[in-house]
Amino acid sequence: MSRPGRDDSPDRLYTLTGGRAHATPDSPFDLVTLVVAECDPTTGMQSEHAAILRLTRLPTAVVELAAELKLPVSITKILLGDLLAAGRVSARHPRKAAVPDPDVLEQVLVGLRNL
Amino acid sequence: MTAPNLPGERPTARALLPAPLLTAVLAALAVAGAVARAPESVRVPLALGAGAGALLLTAAVAVAVHATQNARITRRRLEAVTLDAGRLLQDRARQSTEFDQERVQLTQELTHERARHAAELTRERARLTAELEEERARLTTANARLTERARRAEQERSTALSATANAASRMQALATGMLADLRAMEERHDDEDVLADLLHLDHRTAQAGRLADSVAVLTGARSGRRWARPIAMESILRGAMGRISGYRRVRVHSACEAAVAGHAAEGVMHALAELLDNAANFSPPTAEVHVYVEEVPAGVIVSVEDSGLVMGDIQLRRAERAVSGDDAELGGLTGTRLGLAVVGRLSRKYGLTVSFRPSARGGTGVLVLVPQDILVPEQVAAPPQGVSTLPQVGRAGAVEGAGAGTAVRADSASAAPDPSTEADPAPHAPSTPAPDPFPTHESPGHSAAALPDDLPAGRSEDRSEGLADGLPKRRRGRALAEAEREQRERVRARAAEAAGSGGSARTSGVPGTSGATGSTGHARPAESAALSPARAIRFSSFRQAVRGTLTDQSDPATPAPAETPEPSTPAHTHPTPEGDPTS
Repeated sequence: MSRPGRDDSPDRLYTLTGGRAHATPDSPFDLVTLVVAECDPTTGMQSEHAAILRLTRLPTAVVELAAELKLPVSITKILLGDLLAAGRVSARHPRKAAVPDPDVLEQVLVGLRNL
Repeated sequence: MTAPNLPGERPTARALLPAPLLTAVLAALAVAGAVARAPESVRVPLALGAGAGALLLTAAVAVAVHATQNARITRRRLEAVTLDAGRLLQDRARQSTEFDQERVQLTQELTHERARHAAELTRERARLTAELEEERARLTTANARLTERARRAEQERSTALSATANAASRMQALATGMLADLRAMEERHDDEDVLADLLHLDHRTAQAGRLADSVAVLTGARSGRRWARPIAMESILRGAMGRISGYRRVRVHSACEAAVAGHAAEGVMHALAELLDNAANFSPPTAEVHVYVEEVPAGVIVSVEDSGLVMGDIQLRRAERAVSGDDAELGGLTGTRLGLAVVGRLSRKYGLTVSFRPSARGGTGVLVLVPQDILVPEQVAAPPQGVSTLPQVGRAGAVEGAGAGTAVRADSASAAPDPSTEADPAPHAPSTPAPDPFPTHESPGHSAAALPDDLPAGRSEDRSEGLADGLPKRRRGRALAEAEREQRERVRARAAEAAGSGGSARTSGVPGTSGATGSTGHARPAESAALSPARAIRFSSFRQAVRGTLTDQSDPATPAPAETPEPSTPAHTHPTPEGDPTS
């Protein structure tokens, strides 16, 4: 923002989401939700949607998507919500699958310290 | 004057008879006497001869009398005629005299009259000349006064115009700055309510900016902002939508790949915004405005169709005239109907063709032809910001290149002390020619292969755009702004990595971002097998995030590394991932 207006985009954030700032209440997305594309981008699609679909060919976290798109996370969540509603992406929360029980982790940590 | 039929013109019988009769009687007497006295023998011849002689004598007398009478009559007539002629001559002489007198008199009168008229004329002429002089003097004075007034008015007008233009450009700058600030705030605040408010403000500010742009265009000032790169049609349309109040009612149907050149993008956007605003304002508040984009050989046609009021013929003509931009006068503008005049100015400037027609939707359709010479194919155009079309590998390399968070603010002059990155002194960076047409962080192997051979080993990843002092370095054939943006992107990616790789990294990463432009030009790893580390990196960020939640859940006493204080200087955009993942 050192030289505003020189090289940022003319898109305003509200035009990306049609003025919405709130994700749907049942939105499954938080910062670390893994998003996977279910289809390829099609023509005529909003460019952010297309970009999300390209980025999520491999599972990608919401926060990374936001960073790549250079959009605020809330906006990214709304865009993802649209895609999810259309069935173009699926969401998976890493906590459920990838993370073991915190107690186990703590025990491992204690064990490591004791080494 | 001719001889009248006088009674004595012809000798009358009464005047003729006496003399022949007397002669006849005398002759008869003489004959009778002679016969009587003559002897018997000669009596008969004598009687015959004497009778014949007497008859001849009588006839001669009659002829003589007649001739005498005639002569007398003729003489009398001659006298009468002579008398008439004398009288006529006298008359003529008299008339001639009269005529002469008359002529003299008339000549005198004429001369007199002429003199009088000449005098009058001269007088009149003198009077008129005087009046003329007076009038001319008066007019000259009036003319001078009016000229002065016109000059002053013109001066005032140009002063007012330039003041307005100046004010408008300041308002534009203000609006642009506010939009940038708002964007920064939108990046910073995660709360959805705050974000909603910010978006609302953003929208209002964008509309205010459009108004300032309109005033600037009408006053002939330069248009608001210049884009350093081509702007994709989608962004053009969304930029136009974002400046009108009813943008939610606008539906865009576009598969257009073209982009508008940077210098013209703002004008096209503004013109479209005015047309969209018209369409939205003159249609029912619930009706949608549809925008279709179509590529044709002459350029790109944007059609804006509303289902509102149908324009009559006169209105259509007036609108066409307004958007033709032929009359560049400010007269006839009203405060509320600036839009079409603005469109006209912009079309004239950028060669847009705008036409109106009744829409099949029941309202009015506007066709805008964006000519080919301000268009750039999408392949040439940079991808719109915020959308990365890079492959996963490239992204991974960039993330990996960030290394530990300390590298973000590592002194760029010295080699980053990270084992995973190779030292890369900054001074070499600027001299590197750009081997890659896609000037963002892309696959390292590609760059390494394309680099010149004389570069020292370990510098294969030398694509840094930054100098040691933090100034962005422009490669040949690239805009400085692009280099700067890329530099920021890279820093942001590193900050993201820093945020994801541990508490210490995050604490150092946040201030590092604010000094981001000053901390570039350091090493990048020569990443050949990028895929698996990329995945590792990505999961490390998850791990970090999860660890944050876990710490919160399991051990509240443990100081959460994520609680980085918000930096006090909000002037810089912070990348999103640095935010507290636990929030």
